[in-house]
Amino acid sequence: MIQLDTSTPQGVTMALLPEVLLSGWTLIVLLVASWRHGRPEDSRLAGWLSFAGIAVSLAGVAWLWINSATPVGLAQMVALDSFRYAAAALILVCAGGSILLSLGYLEREDLLAPEYYPLLLLGTCGMLFLAGAEDLIVLFLGLEVMSVAIYVLAGYNRASASSAEAALKYFLIGAFASGFLLYGIALVYGATGSTNLSLIGAQLAGGKLSLMAALGLGLLLIGFGFKVAAVPFHMWAPDVYDGAPTPVTAFMATGVKAAAFVAMVRVLLEGFPSAPALWQPVVAGLAIASMVVGNLIALAQRTLKRMLAYSSIAHAGYLLVAVWPGTRLGSGAVLLYLAAYGLTTLASFGFLAALGRGGEREVTFDDVAGLAASRPWVALGLSVCMLSLLGFPGTFGFIGKWYILSASVAEGQIILPVVLVVTSVISAGYYLPVIMSMYMKPARVEGAYQGFRLSPSAAGAIMISVVAVLLFGFWPGGALEAAVRSAATLTQTGVPVAHQ
Amino acid sequence: MIQLLQSIGYNRWILHALVLLPLAGVVPVLLGDERSAKRMALAVTTLELLLSVGLWWALDPAQAGMQLVSSAPWIPRWGISYRVGLDGISLFMVLLTTVMMPLSVLASWTSITRRERAFYALMLTLLTGLIGVFLALDLFLFYVFFEVMLIPMYFIIGVWGGANRLYAAIKFFIYTMAGSLLMLVAIVVMVWKISAVTGTLSFSYEHLLQNAGSVGSAAPWLFAAFALAFAIKVPIFPLHTWLPDAHVEAPTAGSVLLAAIMLKIGTYGFLRFAVPFFPQVALSPGVSRLIVILAVTGVVYGALVAMVQPDIKKLVAYSSVSHLGFVMLGIWGVTLISVQGALMVMISHGISTGALFLLIGMIYERRHTRLIDDYGGIARVVPIFSLILTVVALSSIGLPGLNGFVGEFLVLLGSFGTYPWATGIATTGVIFAAAYLLWALQRMIFNRLDKPDNERLLDLTPRELVVLVPLLAGIVWLGLYPGPVLRRMEPASRRFVQTVQAAATTTTTGADMVSLEKGPR
Repeated sequence: MIQLDTSTPQGVTMALLPEVLLSGWTLIVLLVASWRHGRPEDSRLAGWLSFAGIAVSLAGVAWLWINSATPVGLAQMVALDSFRYAAAALILVCAGGSILLSLGYLEREDLLAPEYYPLLLLGTCGMLFLAGAEDLIVLFLGLEVMSVAIYVLAGYNRASASSAEAALKYFLIGAFASGFLLYGIALVYGATGSTNLSLIGAQLAGGKLSLMAALGLGLLLIGFGFKVAAVPFHMWAPDVYDGAPTPVTAFMATGVKAAAFVAMVRVLLEGFPSAPALWQPVVAGLAIASMVVGNLIALAQRTLKRMLAYSSIAHAGYLLVAVWPGTRLGSGAVLLYLAAYGLTTLASFGFLAALGRGGEREVTFDDVAGLAASRPWVALGLSVCMLSLLGFPGTFGFIGKWYILSASVAEGQIILPVVLVVTSVISAGYYLPVIMSMYMKPARVEGAYQGFRLSPSAAGAIMISVVAVLLFGFWPGGALEAAVRSAATLTQTGVPVAHQ
Repeated sequence: MIQLLQSIGYNRWILHALVLLPLAGVVPVLLGDERSAKRMALAVTTLELLLSVGLWWALDPAQAGMQLVSSAPWIPRWGISYRVGLDGISLFMVLLTTVMMPLSVLASWTSITRRERAFYALMLTLLTGLIGVFLALDLFLFYVFFEVMLIPMYFIIGVWGGANRLYAAIKFFIYTMAGSLLMLVAIVVMVWKISAVTGTLSFSYEHLLQNAGSVGSAAPWLFAAFALAFAIKVPIFPLHTWLPDAHVEAPTAGSVLLAAIMLKIGTYGFLRFAVPFFPQVALSPGVSRLIVILAVTGVVYGALVAMVQPDIKKLVAYSSVSHLGFVMLGIWGVTLISVQGALMVMISHGISTGALFLLIGMIYERRHTRLIDDYGGIARVVPIFSLILTVVALSSIGLPGLNGFVGEFLVLLGSFGTYPWATGIATTGVIFAAAYLLWALQRMIFNRLDKPDNERLLDLTPRELVVLVPLLAGIVWLGLYPGPVLRRMEPASRRFVQTVQAAATTTTTGADMVSLEKGPR
């Protein structure tokens, strides 16, 4: 247990230890990459170096977490609680996984431009700030650092028109979303005179929200809606996920989503706990729309990558169900589900990257036909991922969904859980055909998977993810405990949300 | 025997062993080579059977409550534990499962030729799931087993099934999952509502059963969710449409397990969870009328549709819809006689229909057709097969002296006081059963031997006889001397009837009380 005085330079450095370490490391990687680039070895070197950076930053998070660092008085710019540490650890794991997936992929696709890994690390830095922000300005800075890096990464494959399209689309829509968010921040500042979440919460406590604050809240929600790809702000997601290089898609689907959701939970719970009547209906509406639309459109997809893109919209809907209660139980569910979804999605995109040859966009359900016969372990792993996304017992995905159900049921909500399970049944309609194709259909051509190779690093990342998905599926005790404890540290200065 | 069992501490480890042994057996099956997979699977399932036989003595027939209960914490923060136990109702479901499983493995001996390791590994996983479902005393655990079981069956149908297997597999999966996910919501709602009243967050069966009254006005919805999940599994008309597809497309072992055991999970669920949790709702005039009407419709509809099937496997599949209608009628009769009858129908349907599917599988392996019209007069070529088929068919019809009669008679007897009209109509189901099965028998094994392909059929091999003889023994034993079985299921059935009746006092009638006291010995 250590206390950090964030008004001193030393204190603030310690409080930002993971971010400081990662930013510093990014500069080193940038130097190395600009000094030596062009050859596959150089790309590999930069990749492993970046992975080491993630590990160092993770050590920083661990140090803060183990010592359960807390602020002296009120947290100023950046939160010092387990919720932030848990989220940061999760984001770093997603980033590390994405790096491992990238290593072999970039060489195979001959994408050796040096900026890839520094951008990825910078994006991760942005995510850490976003997820740890206690102040709306820090939140916005984090969001922009993250977004700009990801815009470039989405268009990283310069030879591909769809990649360029993805980048442009993401950039335009992202800029739009930032505008909403910034305007929302301005209005909230105007209404409360502060950008600090706890102070906003204290300011708004008790009374009815002024029109300005309510408008600000609404604009913030729209901004977050864009970032987490909730319906109706999802139009960019399928094209961007589809067009970006697959490891980048994995990074976007896991890291960006995790950071945005964590920030959203913090803003709503710390800044607006007094106005659940205002934001709960909006969140519920977004959740239902995302679950229904995401699952129904995913059902109609032919290619795996697009199916996963739409399914990620559906998962944003499930996560919004966890945001809805506005309780600690709900925040714990958000963290746990993000972990379950992150691990599973990482592995799924890893498999997808290995299956495609410069054209993962074209991998259809039929293209994995007969995979089980020639690559039994790959088929098994992908099946576990599909079942986890489906929320099947025995996988981490089920624990996550079940926790979401509990969190919303505990608040007396029935409609959202019912929509959640009904749409989950719909999702069986597109997750199962993947398994069916792999196990129950013959390969389309003899030796279709002769050239199939997983790079060792990707195989390692996937294996760890899949094993974790199964392990936490059967023994979720530890993960649940961590999520519950972390969520319990969210400081709530305002009026507690109903039934707490 | 009891002393012997006690001396080895049987009561303490047996339930865990039954759940874990098949799962442990998966490892050697997968590690061994393709050829030895079936031997390994047979060894494991036979060992499981031998272990489970002791339960017959270990269960104290005088007690009504759960016995051999043991539990281990699983997710303590949420009140979830690995909790298993046994009573007179689950005992027979477990024994039915452990008996059918080695027979199914043996029946797959020559019919499964591709990917044998995977097949037998899935069979063993399925065994764990089935045993787990019947033993689970924690609703979270029950749900996990209930769902996990789907995966092996999905693969067994989808990989080793017939021509239309993909469609059948996904239909089976999605139907079952749709029901069970709503049940999951109901479980979570129930647990939270009860914890709000009692202050204890627990998924334990007994805890929920004791406090089920405190869910208040949510009870009808919760019952509806549970009932839907189990109704799909039973299946109750009109939710039965997955059944003919799944039964027909599945390989023999799959059909046997589906019919003999997996359908019983639905009725078991009603007996164990849905009705005892919410007796007021279950026995309210509207709900009970609806269920009884659907049950009787199922009895008659299943029989009528079976009558016109050209495919013998489909005929048997539809006959299941009919038989399971009797079980539902018996459960809703809520008299000791009718509930015991329902349990007897569950057991004897498992044995008889399992045997029918096995026989169909055997003849299909020889002739590669299941169309009744492709046979005719084969009694002359394969006399032993024909004899056994006749006996099994008669037992399925409900010939007195064979097992089918006991259960259906008790159901009709026990339910008559409560629902005279419905019971009267259900009786016609027995007559229709005689019609469709005897007619099919006539066309298949009697008539003229006019198809040249049938002239060279070989009669049953010793392996196949080993599969069928235990079932025949069961058919005769249960038909002539069901006393020991009825005695063991009586306390649990009586408790079910009493608690349900007591809770739903509004629907208690004099007739029920009379029949309660006159329980068969």
